[in-house]
Amino acid sequence: MAFFVDANVIVYAATEGPYHESCVEILQAIAEGSAVARTSTAVIEEVWHVELSGKAGDISGLAGNAYTLFAPLLAVDHEIVGAALALPTSALGATDRIHVATCALSGIDTIVTADADFHDLRGIRRVDPLDEQALRGILRASLG
Amino acid sequence: MLKERLQVLITAEQRLRLEEEARRAGVSVGALVREAIDARVGAPNLADRRRAFAAVTAMRGRYLSPEELEALGDDERDRTAPAVEPG
Repeated sequence: MAFFVDANVIVYAATEGPYHESCVEILQAIAEGSAVARTSTAVIEEVWHVELSGKAGDISGLAGNAYTLFAPLLAVDHEIVGAALALPTSALGATDRIHVATCALSGIDTIVTADADFHDLRGIRRVDPLDEQALRGILRASLG
Repeated sequence: MLKERLQVLITAEQRLRLEEEARRAGVSVGALVREAIDARVGAPNLADRRRAFAAVTAMRGRYLSPEELEALGDDERDRTAPAVEPG
């Protein structure tokens, strides 16, 4: 089953730091077709915000390359926004709720993200890019 | 390689249109449907994805913590865009 990739995984593949290596590994598996992953228009928009802000250094072209890597993107439509609005109140922000609803309505039960806010959500399993064992498991399972 | 079988229900009118277009183009209905699928939900090929991956990993951006990244998204949405004069 495909897993969902959050914006921070894409950004960390293009920036230095503790997540870089594992996020590069994730994107490489997707590029080579050895893992099946999806992301959404909302995620690419987030990546684009980071790119344009300049706060993460020069990562020009990151959103465009992410678009190529993940096309076709999952669309965020009225049904997903409705499902996101209906989610029980939690610590998640609006965009993260959109991601959760996107996963739920796309039949995806795993999200790879460095964002700990996705922990303890019903129906969605969070895999941290630094959790090597869990990462290997979902990369393998995505092809099954 | 064609390995997947997909069974869909369509209207009689859609079938007629498909068959007419297939006849006109000199291809099978199946080929026409596959072409339509690629046009609607086509994905970049392996070479495109490899190029995109190489471009991403050639970048050397600055690390921001997950919390800083999250806050950045909020800041961006709050920022007031400059007014655009109507043409």
